[in-house]
Amino acid sequence: MTKKFTILVVTILVIGCSTLPHHAFLVTPEMLAQRQLETRRYDGIKEDDLLLACANLLQDLGFQLESSEPRLGVLTVNKQRSATNASEIIASVILAMLTGKPTPYSKDQSIRAALVVSPVYGSNGTASSDSYYVRITVQRLVRRTDNSVYVETLRDPKLYEGFYEKLSKSVFIEAQKI
Amino acid sequence: MKRILMIGLMASVFQLGCTTTTGRVLDIGEETQLQKRTYESRIFDTADKEKVLRATISTLQDLGFVIDRADFVLGTVSGTKYERYQIKVTVSVRPKGNGRLMVRANAQFNVEPIADPEQYQDFFSSLEKSLFLVAHEAD
Repeated sequence: MTKKFTILVVTILVIGCSTLPHHAFLVTPEMLAQRQLETRRYDGIKEDDLLLACANLLQDLGFQLESSEPRLGVLTVNKQRSATNASEIIASVILAMLTGKPTPYSKDQSIRAALVVSPVYGSNGTASSDSYYVRITVQRLVRRTDNSVYVETLRDPKLYEGFYEKLSKSVFIEAQKI
Repeated sequence: MKRILMIGLMASVFQLGCTTTTGRVLDIGEETQLQKRTYESRIFDTADKEKVLRATISTLQDLGFVIDRADFVLGTVSGTKYERYQIKVTVSVRPKGNGRLMVRANAQFNVEPIADPEQYQDFFSSLEKSLFLVAHEAD
């Protein structure tokens, strides 16, 4: 019975991993809610100054610049960091003691982010020259101790709140030319 | 005799291997280049390349992609989506004359190309909403 269940779970996981969702390219209401979380509006600043403030902050946060296209307001960055956390290691040790097999846990990670500055469009469809949206999206690729890899998009609201709190300071510094 | 058979077998295995690699590199399938281009492309009645590129970036971000790189001169945007799977997409925007632009997308899911026209239709309909413009089938 247990064996059958295991086979069923494995099959579901395999199917889940290998099938493209039916409407992978349609924007859903959940995606729009996520947009709210990832976006902030900044007024009274030029696009170049805002982009500079963003680039400075990303460097403050230890990111390496991967590519940039100022004409489209795009910055892409990445950094490599440890991914170990105590609770996962403890859980892995307990599981290893119970099963008698070593259980892999997260070892290191590559964090990637794309930051996009885009103009706010007025009701007549023209782009504003001093009001812009900043949107950052973050994902990570984690390597476990057995060298297996898993990937995920980060959606923790606290991450975005923390980022924009710092950006507001960075924008202020940029605006004051400090 | 056995030796010749063995050499023949080895040779055909190598031959098959080569064909497969070339096939994968050139993505030789049942579809013609034209069929692929048709469902991967749409025409928009605007000459504003920057606006279309910015809308493409914003649509990809809405869809959960992290932008890998963007290039205004080439008119290209690439992005990656990580869920329990990986989708990679490249979108190119180029002038098509008479104040029109052609947008073309090609995507891959894990290690396979996405060849379902419906997925591309969904992408262009998402882009239409972001641009407030109607997409036309390519000529």
